[in-house]
Amino acid sequence: MKPITKPEPVLVCRGICKSYGSGDIVERVLKRVDLEFSRGQASVLIGPSGSGKTTLLSILGCLLAPTEGELVIGNGMVDFTNKSSLTEVRRQKLGFIFQHAQLLPFMTIQDNLAIIGRNAGMTAADVDQRLDNLLDRLQLKPMRHKLPSQLSGGQRQRVAILRALLHRPSIVLADEPTAALDWNTGKTVVELLLEQARLEQAVLVVVTHDTRMLPLFDRILSIADGILTEQYQTAALENTFYTHS
Amino acid sequence: MPTRLTTGFAASQSIASVIATKMLSHNRSRFFMTIVGIAIAFFLAAAQIGLLVGWINTNSAIINNTGVDIWVTAEQTATFDYGTPIPRHRVQQVASVPGINWAEGMLVGWATWRHPNGKPINVEIVGLDKSLAGKPAQMLAGDPEIIKQPETVIVDELFRDLLGVWEIGDEAEIQGKRVIVGGISQGVRTFTAAPFVFTSIKNAVTYTPFYREDEISYVIARIEAGADIQAVKSRIQREVSNVEVLTTAEFAERSVKYWMLETGVGITVIITGILGLLVGIVIMSQTLFAITQDHLANYATLLALGFHQNTLRLIVLTQSLTLGGLGIAVGAALFAVAAKASARTPIPLETTTAVSVGLILFSLLFCIGASWFSIRAIFKLDPVSVFHG
Ligand SMILES: Nc1ncnc2c1ncn2[C@@H]1O[C@H](COP(=O)(O)OP(=O)(O)OP(=O)(O)O)[C@@H](O)[C@H]1O
Ligand SMILES: [Mg+2]
Repeated sequence: MKPITKPEPVLVCRGICKSYGSGDIVERVLKRVDLEFSRGQASVLIGPSGSGKTTLLSILGCLLAPTEGELVIGNGMVDFTNKSSLTEVRRQKLGFIFQHAQLLPFMTIQDNLAIIGRNAGMTAADVDQRLDNLLDRLQLKPMRHKLPSQLSGGQRQRVAILRALLHRPSIVLADEPTAALDWNTGKTVVELLLEQARLEQAVLVVVTHDTRMLPLFDRILSIADGILTEQYQTAALENTFYTHS
Repeated sequence: MPTRLTTGFAASQSIASVIATKMLSHNRSRFFMTIVGIAIAFFLAAAQIGLLVGWINTNSAIINNTGVDIWVTAEQTATFDYGTPIPRHRVQQVASVPGINWAEGMLVGWATWRHPNGKPINVEIVGLDKSLAGKPAQMLAGDPEIIKQPETVIVDELFRDLLGVWEIGDEAEIQGKRVIVGGISQGVRTFTAAPFVFTSIKNAVTYTPFYREDEISYVIARIEAGADIQAVKSRIQREVSNVEVLTTAEFAERSVKYWMLETGVGITVIITGILGLLVGIVIMSQTLFAITQDHLANYATLLALGFHQNTLRLIVLTQSLTLGGLGIAVGAALFAVAAKASARTPIPLETTTAVSVGLILFSLLFCIGASWFSIRAIFKLDPVSVFHG
C-alpha cells in the first residue's frame, strides 16, 4: 500500500553527471545530481550563468544524454542510447517552454497547437475540446486564428504554455520563459504557468534569472560549481529576497 | 484519461502534409517561381522526348500504315528510305510461298523535283502497286486511285510551298518529266527533309534513275489467317534468293534505329532531354534546401516537441512531391499545347501513354532524389539546440 503522504515521484534523477569535451579539456558541468519530483510540484532552478541550468533541463527533457547516472520518468528508465525512444518520451510525457515561444511562423495559433496534439496521439475531437478549454483558461480565444507574428510577446508565451500542456504531459520544463518579457508581463506569464501546471497536476521545472519570481514556487533548486542544492522554504526566502534585492 | 493513439502512419502523414503545404505557401513568390522553373524544365525534357517520339512515328509511319505482315527487301537494307532494287518477279515468288495470302510490290526511290520557279528539290518517290497498299492515310483533296493515271502524283499539304504546287491540276517536273498533282494528302511527314511523292510503281520507275522497268524495292505480303508468321518468314527466306524477310515490326524498328542511332540524332535528343531533367532537379533541390534551411529552427523545435525524424522527412518529401507534381502538371499542360500546335507541322511533338507515364514517374523519382540534401540537413539536427535560441 502506498503511503498517502508521500506520492510516487514522477521524475527521478540518480547520480546524474555531465561533462563536455574530451581529453585534457573536459568541463564537468554537473557533478552527481540526485533529485525527485512528484505530481503538481513546481520547482525553480537558479544559478549563475554557465552553471549548467540548461544542461540539467536538457537532460530532464530527454534532449541530452548524461555522461553518467540515470533518469526515471513515470515507471520507466530512460534509454539515452535510443533516439526514437527519447522522442517517444518527449512526445507523450513532456512539455517544453523556451525563452522565445518558437511557434511555427507560417501557421495560425490553432494549427500550431493542433499539430502538437495530433502528433501526441490525441484524436481530432479531443484536440478541439481541449483547445477550447485551454484557450479559454489562458484568455487566448480571440487569438485562435491569428498568425504568431500578430501576437505580442506575452501572448505568444501564453500560447507556448498552452502548447506545453495540451497533450497532458506529466512534466513541463521551461528555460527562462520570461527573459524576453518585461517584468509585469513575465510575472503574469509565470503565474499562469504555475496555475495551469498545478491544475494539470504536472511536474513543473522553471529556469529563471529573475529572483523576484522565486516566492511563487514550491521548491528552489540552485546550481553552482556543478553541485545542486535545495534552498530554504519559500516563506523564508520571500523575506530574504525582498530585503536584499 | 483520453485514449492515447500512437501516431500511426496515416496520422503523421496528415500532420506532415498540413505543415508541408503551409510552409510552402507561406512564401508565395518563391512557391510560384519554383513551380514555373520545374514546369519549364519538365517541358524541355518532354519536348525533347516528344520530338523523338514524333520522329520515330514519322520514320515508321509508311511502314506501319501499309498494313501488311511481311516486308521482303534487298539484303542489308538499312532503312525504308534507302530501298535497293530487286526484280519485280520476286512478288510472284513470294506469293507462291505456302502461307502467303497476298503479295504486291512497292518502290521507294530518290528523284529531283523541279519547282515551277526552277529550284531543284530532292523528293522520295513511293511507287504503289495495284491495291495502293501504303497510300496516304488521309487525303485533303482527291482520290488516291488517281495515281494509276500516267504522270499523276500525290503530294502532301505540308510541302505544297516547298514543292511549288498548291492544287489538284498544278504541274511540275520530276527528273525532267512532267508531273500533274492528282491529289493532296495530309500528315505525311518526312524525316529526311525530302518530301514523299506518291505515285504508281509504273510511273515511279520512270522517275527514279536507279530503277529499271522490271524492278521494285519491296515485296509486301499478308499471311493467311492462322498462319505462323515466323514459319512463313523462314519459308520465304529459304525459297526466295538474295532477299531479307522482315515482319512489319522488325522493319519499322530497323528503320527507326538507323535514323536514331547511326545518324546520332537520337542520342542528341536524349541527352538534351536528360539535361532538361537535370535542370529541373537542380532547381528543385536548391529551392527545397533553401526552404529547409530557412526552417531548420522550426524543425528543431518540432523534434524537441516529440516529432519523429520520419515525420519531418515526410514533410520534406511532401514538399518535393507537391512542387514537383505541380511543376510537372504545368509542364505537361505546356507540352499538350505545344503538341497540339505542332501537330500540323513537319516536326510534330508526339507522345504515347507509356512514354508519358514513364517520364512523369521518372521525374517524380528525380523529385524525391532532389530532397536528399534537405533530408540530410534534418537528419543532422540535434533537438538540444532549441534551448540555445
Ligand atoms: N554543447 C556544449 N559543448 C560544450 N560545452 C557546453 C555545451 N553546452 C554547454 N556547455 C558549457 O556548459 C556549461 C553550462 O552551460 P549551460 O548552458 O547549461 O549553462 P546555463 O546555466 O544554462 O547558463 P545561462 O544562465 O547562461 O543560460 C557552460 O560553461 C557552457 O559553456
Ligand atoms: Mg541556459
